[in-house]
Amino acid sequence: MDREELELFRAGLAEACSSHTGKALDDALDELGWRDALEADRQAAVSALFEEQGRANATSSALDVVLASALGVDAAVVLPRLGRWDPPSDGVAVRGLGTGGLQRHNGAAVVAGDAVLIVDTTDLTLRPVGGLDPALGLVAVEADGLRAATRPATWTAAVAIGHLALAHELVGSSRAMLQLARDHSLERVQFGRPIAAFQAVRHRLAETLVAIEAAEAALGAAWEVESPMNAALAKAIAGGSARTVARHCQQVLAGIGFTTEHPFHRYLRRTLVLDGLLGDTRALTKQLGQDLLRTRELPPLLPL
Amino acid sequence: MELDEFRPALDAWLDEHSAALAPSGGVGTLDDEMAQLAKVKRAMFDAGWMRWGWPERVGGLGGSPVLRAYLGETLTTRDLVNAGGYSMTEVLAPTMIDYARPELAAEMVPMLLRGEEMWCQGFSEPGTGSNLAALSCRATRADDGWRVTGQKVWTSYAQYAARCVLLTRTGRTESAHRGITAMFVDMASPGITVRPLGTMHGGAEFCEVFFDDVPVSFDRTLGEEGQGWSVAMDLLPFERSTSLWHRGALLNRRLKQFLDVADAETLSAAEVGDVFLRLHALRARSRATLNRMAAGDRLGPETSVDKILLAAAEQALFDLVAAGFADAVLLGDDASSERWRAEFLYSRAATIYGGSAEIQRNIVARRLLDLGAEA
Repeated sequence: MDREELELFRAGLAEACSSHTGKALDDALDELGWRDALEADRQAAVSALFEEQGRANATSSALDVVLASALGVDAAVVLPRLGRWDPPSDGVAVRGLGTGGLQRHNGAAVVAGDAVLIVDTTDLTLRPVGGLDPALGLVAVEADGLRAATRPATWTAAVAIGHLALAHELVGSSRAMLQLARDHSLERVQFGRPIAAFQAVRHRLAETLVAIEAAEAALGAAWEVESPMNAALAKAIAGGSARTVARHCQQVLAGIGFTTEHPFHRYLRRTLVLDGLLGDTRALTKQLGQDLLRTRELPPLLPL
Repeated sequence: MELDEFRPALDAWLDEHSAALAPSGGVGTLDDEMAQLAKVKRAMFDAGWMRWGWPERVGGLGGSPVLRAYLGETLTTRDLVNAGGYSMTEVLAPTMIDYARPELAAEMVPMLLRGEEMWCQGFSEPGTGSNLAALSCRATRADDGWRVTGQKVWTSYAQYAARCVLLTRTGRTESAHRGITAMFVDMASPGITVRPLGTMHGGAEFCEVFFDDVPVSFDRTLGEEGQGWSVAMDLLPFERSTSLWHRGALLNRRLKQFLDVADAETLSAAEVGDVFLRLHALRARSRATLNRMAAGDRLGPETSVDKILLAAAEQALFDLVAAGFADAVLLGDDASSERWRAEFLYSRAATIYGGSAEIQRNIVARRLLDLGAEA
């Protein structure tokens, strides 16, 4: 896509995400030709949609579509349990999570080792997850004694694209939080001036922007220099950044941000749960550190 | 010359010549460091490498500044130069190219690139740290040129410098950033006294520089009279592009050297992972900044983000080192311990030099987030 097409495409996605969520957003994405765009220009489709979805606090089956495309299947994809990124199944049993899209799809892709099984969704026990972010519509997935034809699949590639998608969604959500906090700081008057005039508030918002920019830079680099490692680094940085952003923005929003009359709480909920999908920042960071200590080697550094 | 061509050719050349260019001896004095820098720049200029990425009118061979970023990175990671001393070239040459009379730039810049001269940057003053616009080192007009009187401080490598890019007050003090003029001063001029400062990390690179009625001819003015603030503002992004890339490369190199010998049992994997994440984010950000610069974008206040990421990453790395190598950093007297200790101590200043952490955040708040004036 050229610059102009990209802007139009993005505006369409932004509009869809702010007006719809769940099944309705899936339909809107079909109408916009997002799946075709995914095949034609993966980076543009993934980065634009997930960022807008994060910004709008919307949900869809897009993560399933992206993962399925990497696995070469047409099915919803069972995710690992919270905080993990290894395949959710050993080939017989599965314990994992699904998006709201899993309930709407007849087929579920279950990855075990180097293979993917396509099972009837009805063969899985799906339990809606309420938890911190009921609006995300996750389901807990369980099944034993799975029997299905398998075909080879590379989970690593699926995880890599999933990391990028989730990192973009975290960045979008972070940008939304920053906007809420920035607007509030300019409107809220105390001691006779907007609180944005106070350095303590300004520095929190500056920290917020720096955290977001760091995540965006890591994402930009991960698309330019594609590797599972660079995708995982981007996800770890985006998850950590989103937590930093949420902490500072909540403090700036103060009382109003603690109420359910203000949208902030939805973003806080969403970022914490998104951080947990396909490995949270703590687990990814610890794994990275263990690998560094074991191998005594740095991952390949980004080339100029 | 494109990077794809430059990189392997330079790597091959350095594989052959690195041994001859390597510093003799271990951790040397500042004198040794400067001699090493001059030797390497001279060799790299004569072989052509140091000329790529600079315009032909100052002795360069043209090409993207990304070539310079790669050259500095590879010289730094091969331990051929110290990133700090090397950075003066990246910061001061662009200022001369943009603001000096073309004849002056053509005469002077090649001497800097070729390592024949070291230059320094006279910005900070005792009364002017974060508030640069309040500087008071005064230049007054005489018939035959400027007369400069005042004091600078934190002037890196002034005791080795042949020239100084100096900010002076030519308007009234109340004119703040509007009354500042930049000039290019010969450090051998009568009336200049340099006094190195002792610092906690041991190297005496920072100096006080005193100016007592120092003559500077008018044709050494950089830009127009009163335009010094623009000179300074255009210079700072260079500290935060190629130079910052070199510093980030050095930090990755030091993390690797730390991992080579660290005792994995005693270290927190989470902390080690966090340090690499910070270095990775810094490198990704710096890489994007270099690519923007190469595409012709004008760098501005957004480079404060790069500086904030650098300072945090540098301190995180050396906090890890100080914990992992506590014996060396706290008690060691061998050359390797001294280097780790000096770098740990130097990293304490990462949130202070080149615009403090607070000033950087003020810039982000004002210029990038548009939060209006401060209370």
